[in-house]
Amino acid sequence: MIKGYANRILEVDLAARTFSFQPLDEEIARLYIGGKGYGTRLLYDTTKPGIDALGPENPLIFATGPLNGSLAPQSNRFAVVCKSPLTGGIGNAACGGSFALGLKKAGLDVLVIRNQSPAPLRLEVDGDAGTVAFLDATELWGQGTAATQEALGKSGYHAVIGPAGENQVLYAGIVSQERIAGRTGVGAVMGSKRLKAITVKGTAKLEMEDEEKFKAYTKWLRQHFRAHPMLGEKLRRYGTMGIVNTTNGRNILPTHNFRFGHHPDAMQLSGEYLEDNGLVGVKSSCIHCPVACGRDVMVDGARVKGPEYETVALLGTNLDIVDIKQVSEWNQLADDLGMDTISLGVTLGFAMELQELGMLETDLAFGKPEGISAMIRDIAFRRGLGDDLAQGVKRLSEKYGGWSFAMHVKGLELSAYDPRGSYAQGVEYATTNRGGCHVQGASMYMESTGPLTINPQSLRLKAELPVVQQNLACALNAMVLCMFSTYGIIPAFVHRMDPNSLLYRVVVGAFERSGPMYRWLLGLKVRPLLWFEQWLTYITGQTFTSGHLQEIGARIFNLERMYNLREGLTGQDDSLPPRMLHEPTFKHLHSGVPLDSLLPRYYQIRGWDAQGVPLPRTLKKLQVRV
Amino acid sequence: MSITVELTYDLAKLLGTRHLELEGAATVGDALRLTRAHFAEQQADFDRLTRVTALAVNGVLINHRNLWATPLAPGDRVSFLKAAAGG
Repeated sequence: MIKGYANRILEVDLAARTFSFQPLDEEIARLYIGGKGYGTRLLYDTTKPGIDALGPENPLIFATGPLNGSLAPQSNRFAVVCKSPLTGGIGNAACGGSFALGLKKAGLDVLVIRNQSPAPLRLEVDGDAGTVAFLDATELWGQGTAATQEALGKSGYHAVIGPAGENQVLYAGIVSQERIAGRTGVGAVMGSKRLKAITVKGTAKLEMEDEEKFKAYTKWLRQHFRAHPMLGEKLRRYGTMGIVNTTNGRNILPTHNFRFGHHPDAMQLSGEYLEDNGLVGVKSSCIHCPVACGRDVMVDGARVKGPEYETVALLGTNLDIVDIKQVSEWNQLADDLGMDTISLGVTLGFAMELQELGMLETDLAFGKPEGISAMIRDIAFRRGLGDDLAQGVKRLSEKYGGWSFAMHVKGLELSAYDPRGSYAQGVEYATTNRGGCHVQGASMYMESTGPLTINPQSLRLKAELPVVQQNLACALNAMVLCMFSTYGIIPAFVHRMDPNSLLYRVVVGAFERSGPMYRWLLGLKVRPLLWFEQWLTYITGQTFTSGHLQEIGARIFNLERMYNLREGLTGQDDSLPPRMLHEPTFKHLHSGVPLDSLLPRYYQIRGWDAQGVPLPRTLKKLQVRV
Repeated sequence: MSITVELTYDLAKLLGTRHLELEGAATVGDALRLTRAHFAEQQADFDRLTRVTALAVNGVLINHRNLWATPLAPGDRVSFLKAAAGG
């Protein structure tokens, strides 16, 4: 029995209305930790190739990790894994809220939902009693995520879908409190099962190997986070919208469907502007998080959940709209309908460009907020043109044309960092297994927006950085821990250095040239240094170091890759939209991401062949069984 | 020759404008000097607020050895940037 785990999995069959509790597979836990890692292993092992992502064969896997249920800051996340209906490859998303804690309290590491119900249904899992109730959800069907959670009450922890999930919008998400597992269409899979909501409850307590050391260390760490210039000052004060002016200045803020990377009035969407204009209501946090990056926004005297950076960029500047109140309303509407605002914003931007070029007849137009709210509802309920937009930009471009400016990778719409001003992020987008996503590595922080930025448009470190970052992100998503935790890695003194000083340039120059040394250092298995390594060690009793996490992360990444290959994706899918490869953003200085120069190096570092297929020796070394 | 200087939020608040249009800035050093001059009585604040601020020309960070001598062309945009994180 491993400490940090509930050592129990729940399998539910919605068609047969049966359930069974199974023991945790300790071998999988040892190799993949939990969360996304464990979920991907289960998905690979228990499904046949080529299944319909919206069919009964696609399981919906909710998975926690050993940090969930502890008091570790930023550890309240759960992972959802399934085949993605949007990409046809690996689907996964992570979510804050309270559901992860609920799963652990119910004594569950993993919850696997199989098959489909013929009628709307909700599940109530009582972990203490060891029961699962299959309850009629007809009256909840059609309700928004807020009303659904309110109707379910305060007893237990909920994960729900909105109308977008019910109607299988391909970028629908799953909501817990005000947070959403947004990406890759996991909500559509839940909707295909006609599963409206899951409630979990119980009183199980997390067992740790060394609880005293864990508590003392965590107490110290909370102070460290509060004093850290990025976590405790900038993110805490301005939220994720505090990055708007930086991405705008770096030409990486999506504008006009990613045609440009800069908007002259972007400042009106920034966290600083919000604070100065009395628009911030309450600053909110996930459980146990001292950063509290979330915030409510005041719109016409009412408090609504404020948008994140991705949302203000993609429903804002990407549509040539800089009205924060308007964007906040759309954000709240999308959350209530249960859909991913990243894919939504990119899809709307694509439709506007099609309209601009006369390729699509619609009232949607850049800079025009009228009609957007109605279109968001039409998407959720699959009405009229909304039915086309519900399928994302890849399918939209197949129907209406415009593939060169359809902003997706592998079918997943790009996040709000234009890779033409951030080459490592471009490589990360191109190669990330779930498609064009920023939180599967967040290379842009190390090259474009953070305190130690290397030249984002040289080739130095641009293949190494994504590998290291993707591996780390995989490990964090296996624990399951918030990616923001990594923003604390760069020490405070670096944040306080003058970026124009000689010393700074020496440090950055050395970092840029570190290449193989950087990877070697991170691969060392000496002793736990960073907080997540310490936490895992204190909780499980096994030693975790940077080297262990890089290895486990690489294992997960390669297994995801093998899943994608099995489902028909190939190295050809490791690409970027042609606009990102060939069009300049500003004054011809950004001529596109040199992916052809970087991908071969990336493949080589990964231990893959020239077609992007993991070599047998790589899989053997990482113990990836396929 | 005219170039645009894009200020950080704090600098913009201090000066009451987000952008400055500058004439006669042939290099980044010139742009910095002319921008500082706009702050008149508040140059100490300008120095404080730019102490950990990077500079980019047309979105490209300039952190090479001859930073101040970086040449500017008409229509260029010089941005003051602060480190930030999003998600």
